[in-house]
Amino acid sequence: MNRFDQPEYRAMLRGVNKPARYTGGELNAVDKSASFFGSDRDRKVHAALCFPDLYEIGMSNLAIQILYALLNGDQDTFCERCFAPDFDMRDYLKENGLPLTSLETGTPLADFDLVGVSLHYELAYTSVLDMLHMGGIPLFNSERSEKDPLVIAGGPIACNLEPMAPFLDLILLGEGEEALPQLIGLVKEKKRQGLDRQAFLASAARLPGVYVPSFYQVDYEPDGRVEGIRSVHPDAADKVEKRLIADLNQAVMPNQPIIPNIEVVHDRMVMEILRGCARGCRFCQAGFTYRPLRERDRGLLFETAKQLIDNTGYEEMGLLSLSTTDYSDLEGLVRSLLPLTGPRHINLSLPSLRLDAFDFDLAREIAKTRRAGLTFAPEAGTQRLRDVINKNISEDDMIRAARTAFLNGWDRLKLYFMLGLPTETDEDVEGIVTLVRKLIAVWDDLPREQRSKRLNVTVSTSYFIPKPFTPFQWARQINREEMAAKQEQLAAGLRDRRVSLRWNDFSSSELEGVLSRGDRRLAPVILQAWQAGAYLDAWHEHFKPELWQKALEQIPGGAGFYRRERSPDEHFPWDHMDVGVNRNFLREEWDKATRGETTPSCYDLCSACGCQVYMTGVCPGGSMS
Amino acid sequence: MTDKKRILLFYRREGAAAWLAHLDTMRLFERALSRADWPLSWTVDAFNPRPELVFALPVGVGIETRRDPVGLTLADGNQAFDLEEAVDRLNRSFPKDIRVVDYQEEPATGKGSLMARVKAARYLLEAPGVGLAFDRTFSGGEPVVMTRQQKKKKVTVDLTPRLFAWQVGDSDQVTLTAGAGSTGHLRIDLLLDSLVQFGGLDPSAARGSRVVRLEVILDRFDPAQGIIV
Repeated sequence: MNRFDQPEYRAMLRGVNKPARYTGGELNAVDKSASFFGSDRDRKVHAALCFPDLYEIGMSNLAIQILYALLNGDQDTFCERCFAPDFDMRDYLKENGLPLTSLETGTPLADFDLVGVSLHYELAYTSVLDMLHMGGIPLFNSERSEKDPLVIAGGPIACNLEPMAPFLDLILLGEGEEALPQLIGLVKEKKRQGLDRQAFLASAARLPGVYVPSFYQVDYEPDGRVEGIRSVHPDAADKVEKRLIADLNQAVMPNQPIIPNIEVVHDRMVMEILRGCARGCRFCQAGFTYRPLRERDRGLLFETAKQLIDNTGYEEMGLLSLSTTDYSDLEGLVRSLLPLTGPRHINLSLPSLRLDAFDFDLAREIAKTRRAGLTFAPEAGTQRLRDVINKNISEDDMIRAARTAFLNGWDRLKLYFMLGLPTETDEDVEGIVTLVRKLIAVWDDLPREQRSKRLNVTVSTSYFIPKPFTPFQWARQINREEMAAKQEQLAAGLRDRRVSLRWNDFSSSELEGVLSRGDRRLAPVILQAWQAGAYLDAWHEHFKPELWQKALEQIPGGAGFYRRERSPDEHFPWDHMDVGVNRNFLREEWDKATRGETTPSCYDLCSACGCQVYMTGVCPGGSMS
Repeated sequence: MTDKKRILLFYRREGAAAWLAHLDTMRLFERALSRADWPLSWTVDAFNPRPELVFALPVGVGIETRRDPVGLTLADGNQAFDLEEAVDRLNRSFPKDIRVVDYQEEPATGKGSLMARVKAARYLLEAPGVGLAFDRTFSGGEPVVMTRQQKKKKVTVDLTPRLFAWQVGDSDQVTLTAGAGSTGHLRIDLLLDSLVQFGGLDPSAARGSRVVRLEVILDRFDPAQGIIV
């Protein structure tokens, strides 16, 4: 029976906000239920693709669309979606003893063969536990029986999921496009041969990119530092190698994405033009873990753009990458797309533009329909500190770009900075003030008739968070007192009615830092925080720092233990992961950072970070070199 | 003065699509029309240009429709537009729970705005005991006064004069004709509340009820006579 014909289902939807988050039924959503559950059911894989946040966030994510298209492209796989319910729906399910279900067919998570979680930020951890629990799946991998689904995870933060290790059966390291179909093949094999979980995990562990956390043992020093992590299973390698798509042109690019029926955060069609980054900003995790930089062919992007426009009807097209201006022929690409987008009233959106390569003629053409603000992300206020973080933007670049922008009618300026970067002093914080004042002076010095009426400057500051697999993985994260002093200094210096200051929340940044460099001892902490009510922690209005503070009392030293600077030879909880970039290179980068020395981009010179062995993309021997 | 072609579409929504809010429905139509390559006329407002697309009567979350009218205007120079073929294309561009079930061309001028032409609407309600509750609430012809929160103030409405006719199919089904549009609109959520409050309808039956808007009546309804003329 159709669920929409059931009074109980209608009553549930009437009891919550935005019920369309939970109903599915969007264009291009796949429902194979009519043909899928026949007598040959044991040959087939029923998978739930989970995103541990609300529908509006998950459906804005390109990874979900890629994996959905990839998995459903196999006729013997039926992949459905499941998102974290908002509090009202969660309460309704609890009060009525109902399980969390998939969107497409309303199947409880516990009834799937495979539950895959796409993990993009650490603050989603409690939501993962919640979804498993609400879906009827035992939380710990050790508690799951043969009838329970396999719980796997992957995504940008898969390079250190140690805090979640006891909850996950298997982790995919790197890009999932190749490994996932192979893994699905093994699940089919498991069902055909009637293998038990352990036998399946052993066969999966032999696949490159697959990490089975229960096959590894972690030993600790008396003070809590990791002494070592070793494989305790014959099929588990000492080091797990990340998976990588050598040729981006061969990777799935969804041209018939699911079109959400309700407004989502990024309500637009998306083309990923580049993967990886050549720049090597020393705080940026994705910039290292997604190396080498690879790009998609311009012709392929043009053809995909045509299909996307016809198939989606969206009003905006986003070109996605870590650094859009590094596309080798961005101008050519954009000029080829404008005749497609213009007549259909489609805005072209180019995030992550670097201003050192900014072409204003081009920008003007893009902005014909709607003019966005000008955004710079210098991250640090002085050239010295920008050299430390290897952020290659000079003050002259910014002043020149701002002048050109103001002369061309721009009147909104957005600046992104980080506080608490390694080696930062009061002078560097003062440097932010000076830089903002210089940019305002550029405006004031222009004759009135040559610029718009009123300037609007937004200064957004976040707090530096040390991340695994970056040169700053050894660095200390600042504490609340230091943060408050820096904030105060900045606020005092930037009292100007044309400037609005925005802060990130410190408590959630601190927690992100704890979890991102965390070890398995944090699993009971996450569990306790969740049991006490932590859920959807990435939402400012739902984040309850006191629950985490309490849970962290389990760890001697608390958050401070994880915030501390690491010694050069300390064993990291993620040292058994191999993302291509090697530890010696990162250590050299850390040493260079402390001396204020920069490192050229991969375009200019190969620094032999370790990824050159892939011989693809921008690396020597690759198509872009 | 203009040779722009005006068209009235009638659409059905059910299943998942019945749970969309009005703005979502509008956006869904805009995108489906774009996918189906309809040459719509766009408003001239340069800041936020939108296609000329008007829904006769916004439909609430959780309400199915059978033939709700949507008016749209084609860009200049589309007099020879093949409407039948275009509607086929449009129907292939919708998610599975939305379909255009009928269409007609409108005269280029006259008749006024689509929203102003809405006179009444017909609904089907399905819930256990709804027939009895309806009779108990409305058969005496007494005022049925309900209050509801409208932003910060409380508004009281008498539902009786807004209810033009009804028929109890069996004890679980009622069809009704009620005021709709800018004046004398009968809100179905308020109606269901009144059935709970005065007719003894089980609140959970009300929450689980099925609500279908069978028809939006344009132009030809005379409420003074209470019949369709």
